[in-house]
Amino acid sequence: MTASSAEPLFSTPRYAAEASRHSASRRIVVAQQARAAVALLDDPAPTLLLCLGETLTTSADQESLPSIETLYLRLQMLLERAEAGTRLYISGDESFLWHVYRLARHAGLLADEIELFKQGSRRRLYCVHCTHFQDIGEEGECNCVQCGVKLLVREHFSQRLGAYMGVCIDPDRPYAKAVQA
Amino acid sequence: MSAMIEVQVTDVRQLTPVVREFTFVALDGTLPGFSCGSHVQVVLPIEGRTLRNAYSLMSDPRETGVYRIAVRLQEASRGGSRYLHEQVRVGDRLRIGVPSNLFALHSQAHHHILVAGGIGITPFMAYLAELEARGASFELHYAYRSGLTDAYGDELRERLGERFHGYDAAAGQRLDCTSLFAGKPLGSHLYVCGPQRLLDELKLLASAHGWSAGRLHWEAFAAPEPGQPFTVELTRSGQRLQVPGDHSLLEALEAAGVEVPNLCRGGVCGQCTTRYLSGEVEHRDHYLGEQQRGEALMPCVSRGGCSGTLLLDL
Repeated sequence: MTASSAEPLFSTPRYAAEASRHSASRRIVVAQQARAAVALLDDPAPTLLLCLGETLTTSADQESLPSIETLYLRLQMLLERAEAGTRLYISGDESFLWHVYRLARHAGLLADEIELFKQGSRRRLYCVHCTHFQDIGEEGECNCVQCGVKLLVREHFSQRLGAYMGVCIDPDRPYAKAVQA
Repeated sequence: MSAMIEVQVTDVRQLTPVVREFTFVALDGTLPGFSCGSHVQVVLPIEGRTLRNAYSLMSDPRETGVYRIAVRLQEASRGGSRYLHEQVRVGDRLRIGVPSNLFALHSQAHHHILVAGGIGITPFMAYLAELEARGASFELHYAYRSGLTDAYGDELRERLGERFHGYDAAAGQRLDCTSLFAGKPLGSHLYVCGPQRLLDELKLLASAHGWSAGRLHWEAFAAPEPGQPFTVELTRSGQRLQVPGDHSLLEALEAAGVEVPNLCRGGVCGQCTTRYLSGEVEHRDHYLGEQQRGEALMPCVSRGGCSGTLLLDL
């Protein structure tokens, strides 16, 4: 089993470095950290920034939400009333990006109307043995916190689940020696 | 086309002076099911040649056992629509291909905007049956000329109520394409069937309103435009063919017994893409990219240049 190769897998997400210049009738920027999204606000189309915690001292329309749950809810409400022609820009770690992405697709946005900007290293892992989701960092191996199987983190990413696939690393000794806390 | 079906005409209705509707049933067994937006090729043995014209199936996909098409008589026709209008009678037999769909409903759309120009209403007749049965959210915009290209207009107005928006050119009414994009919910998809200029205008507007190309679905059937006669050589079989100005390359190949897989016969589906080795090509398709055009062409619409020979990898 080779976990590394020169070419990334087709399913491994690629993230943009800067916003495209697609025309939009309205833009929504969703950011875990407002500071990281400053460059995304520079566009002539009406733009709303939705972020967590601190706000920016710019003239752009912005709303700061006190928690991640309220941010998701607020975005859902906005998308329900949004019109076709809206584009979405998401900035944050991979767990956040793909949660928001799936929410937006469900609301009717198409894949090419959503742009993703990755910050930080948190990402979501899906245990293919017990279907549990957990957040991990850049590590290539970890233990499933639900079933305890020692997992290899594959670079294969599921957009539908918003997660990387974790598979048993050693079928002869599936469980990690140490008991999980 | 491999699979052909023998059908019998069981009904013919003249809907307007230029639109005629035909109902087919299978001579043997049953007709294959189809999804809304599908079309079939109809084999038309006109004088001296055989045409295969594609027509949208407009019957309700749930109504199994029959196919219905509606045909507009084309002024500058190569004879296919004239043959259907003037020669085909109830009880006649015809050969048709199996249905294929290049214009399907988008499965995740929340709201469907249908835009028909004239005879472009036909695929939407099947769409409307499907959308009504699903209880889906939709609106129909139908641009026509009353007394000429307004087939099904009265019926649809009554059936669809406020979801029907008609624009009668004879009364000076025009479809304002910009209005189609204003205030539409996020999950909207727009489908257009009609003349090329309508399609081009909608494409431009969609992009200007920030709609991704994936929200716009279109179908435009047009007979291949005539051109200059040219010569083609098939490298594998060594055959040399003269393609007359009013035949497409695909038709000339078929007449010579060379079968090339094809579906739309209108330059959009890519099915008939054929490699060429040398020669001048006049590309007329809407499918191949610039790079592919260097070595491939779509014989259903594209032609060779009149000087020199086009060398095909066939």
